[in-house]
Amino acid sequence: MLKGKLKLSAKAPRVFPDRIGSLVSGFDDKEDENGESDSALDFESGEELEILQPSGAGSGREIEDGYVDIMEGQLESRVRQRSEKDGSGLVSVKEVIAADEKRSDLEYELSQKEINLEKLQRIADSGLPEGRGLRATTWKQLLLGYLPPSRDLWEKELTENRQKYAKLKEELLLSPSEFTRIKEEALDSNEQNADSDVDGPLRRQEISHEDHPLSSGKASVWHQYFQHIEIAEQIDRDLQRTHPDMKFFSGDTSFSRKHREAMRNILRLFAKLNPAIRYVQGMNEVLAPIYYVFSTDPDEQNAANAEADSFSCFVRLLSDSVDHFCQQLDNSSVGILSTLSRLAELLKANDEELWRHLEFTNKIKPQFYAFRWITLLLTQEFNFQSILRIWDSLLSNPFGVQDMLLRVCCAMLLCMKSRLLTGDFVANLKLLQHYPDINIEHLLLVARDLSPDTSSYRLSP
Amino acid sequence: MVLVLALGDLHIPHRASDLPAKFKSMLVPGKIQHIICTGNLCIKEVHDYLKTICPDLHITRGEYDEETRFPEMKTLTIGQFKLGLCHGHQVIPWGDLDSLAMLQRQLDVDILVTGHTHQFTAYKHEGGVVINPGSATGAFSSITYDVNPSFVLMDIDGLRVVVYVYELIDGEVKVDKIDFKKTS
Repeated sequence: MLKGKLKLSAKAPRVFPDRIGSLVSGFDDKEDENGESDSALDFESGEELEILQPSGAGSGREIEDGYVDIMEGQLESRVRQRSEKDGSGLVSVKEVIAADEKRSDLEYELSQKEINLEKLQRIADSGLPEGRGLRATTWKQLLLGYLPPSRDLWEKELTENRQKYAKLKEELLLSPSEFTRIKEEALDSNEQNADSDVDGPLRRQEISHEDHPLSSGKASVWHQYFQHIEIAEQIDRDLQRTHPDMKFFSGDTSFSRKHREAMRNILRLFAKLNPAIRYVQGMNEVLAPIYYVFSTDPDEQNAANAEADSFSCFVRLLSDSVDHFCQQLDNSSVGILSTLSRLAELLKANDEELWRHLEFTNKIKPQFYAFRWITLLLTQEFNFQSILRIWDSLLSNPFGVQDMLLRVCCAMLLCMKSRLLTGDFVANLKLLQHYPDINIEHLLLVARDLSPDTSSYRLSP
Repeated sequence: MVLVLALGDLHIPHRASDLPAKFKSMLVPGKIQHIICTGNLCIKEVHDYLKTICPDLHITRGEYDEETRFPEMKTLTIGQFKLGLCHGHQVIPWGDLDSLAMLQRQLDVDILVTGHTHQFTAYKHEGGVVINPGSATGAFSSITYDVNPSFVLMDIDGLRVVVYVYELIDGEVKVDKIDFKKTS
């Protein structure tokens, strides 16, 4: 069957350069194209989608584009991968080709000397392709501001940051005995040695009240150490529960233990450096995608330093939403309650009917369901691959993560509109707290198309 | 970094009613990994109280202990150190360094902890250390009435042990520190 269509291979390469050309100059064509295929993926109408059976080669199927046959052999393996990953058998052939183009496009962007942040954001917004460490590089480099736009400075920045991290680890994760030993060695090393050869009564040194293990003074190294042990225990407990279905995180293999150890160090360090919030349950979930993406980077050096890089990016990511974790700020204008009311306002601006129904008929406040959505950046609502895809869009939003996050939350509500409108308090709450699987691209499309909530914009004097 | 609490000669309820309040407020559960007690508690309630501070409790029998099944001597290994425990009334003359050194050689330990004299002492002798944590309640002894409550906390870290001595002098807790490194 392939032989008959071989002559069309001449046509296929010609199509690609055109697309790339149009992509570099302006994004509009591609967006339209993606817009079309995305709407085709709407879960309600599936007529345009081709179901490519990995096993069936000659089952008479209707194919729109002829040249697909040739590519089919090569694409089939990739399609199979994609369909397995997406957890659905519906894959558009157009989409697969678009993915390839996106990959080469992304590589082109990343290979520039001075990276164009906007272009990168736009590509990332439409989903980053798997493989070849592209996601890791993109997330790391620019979306989280970890690496500067100029490619030449990458090497220097990376090594500097990694060294800083190693130093921090040494300083802060020290046990008090080591700490006191190092302090003493710095002070009076000679006197100690003289004593050790002489028998007889041992010399006593008077010490201040903070330095002994049972002290409860705030400045005492020991006291801080014991307080930190409680936090460390909680971190350990949470890490055991992170993504129990993934071999990367859970289980007793040395592989997963190594990763949990690295994540533990990161979280402990964060807790030490931020005594105001310390560790809050759920931070492990926010860290998990970052660490996963960085340590599955095919580049050996990057993967080995995934811990250091994840720490910096984790800190950057949380710096936006750190106020959500602080209990004292709950009622303030930067706290979680204010963000939740912004979500409600956004919903009101976009769909007053649904807002009215939730707010008044059901009396469901956003606190009941969206608290976890917002503080954990949606990591608990979807499966892992979907989380990575959603985060592509969250991190690439030029207006910031929080802005896109609110939009996605609102879109989540809108996508469930019909079910919500017919449900009562209990049914709706149950639905929202266990959000069902939906098509992520559709969700993100709805999120992008939302009209922004202008009620909170104040005129600055 | 292992914290080992060494105390003894409380003589509750015969000679003292309880540990000093300042000591009790410091001894909270969760910080200490082992407790070694030289003896003379004397009653079960004290044993239970010590168990709440740390479940790993080692006691040797003192002459006034009401629990007869405690051993006379005990050895245990913590980290790189071998510790020996004995009440001390068996070693005559009481508190004599040479006799205690004999006991140390007999038990073959690096650190020997004994009590009975109700006086804190710490000696370095022939490559080992002999420690007497004193009386944690300040109970009077047959030798002297003037006893300051004291106990000892050892921080064993590899080949080095840091001994923190807690003494209650004139109502104030004074903490001293002794460093000891094992040569081999």
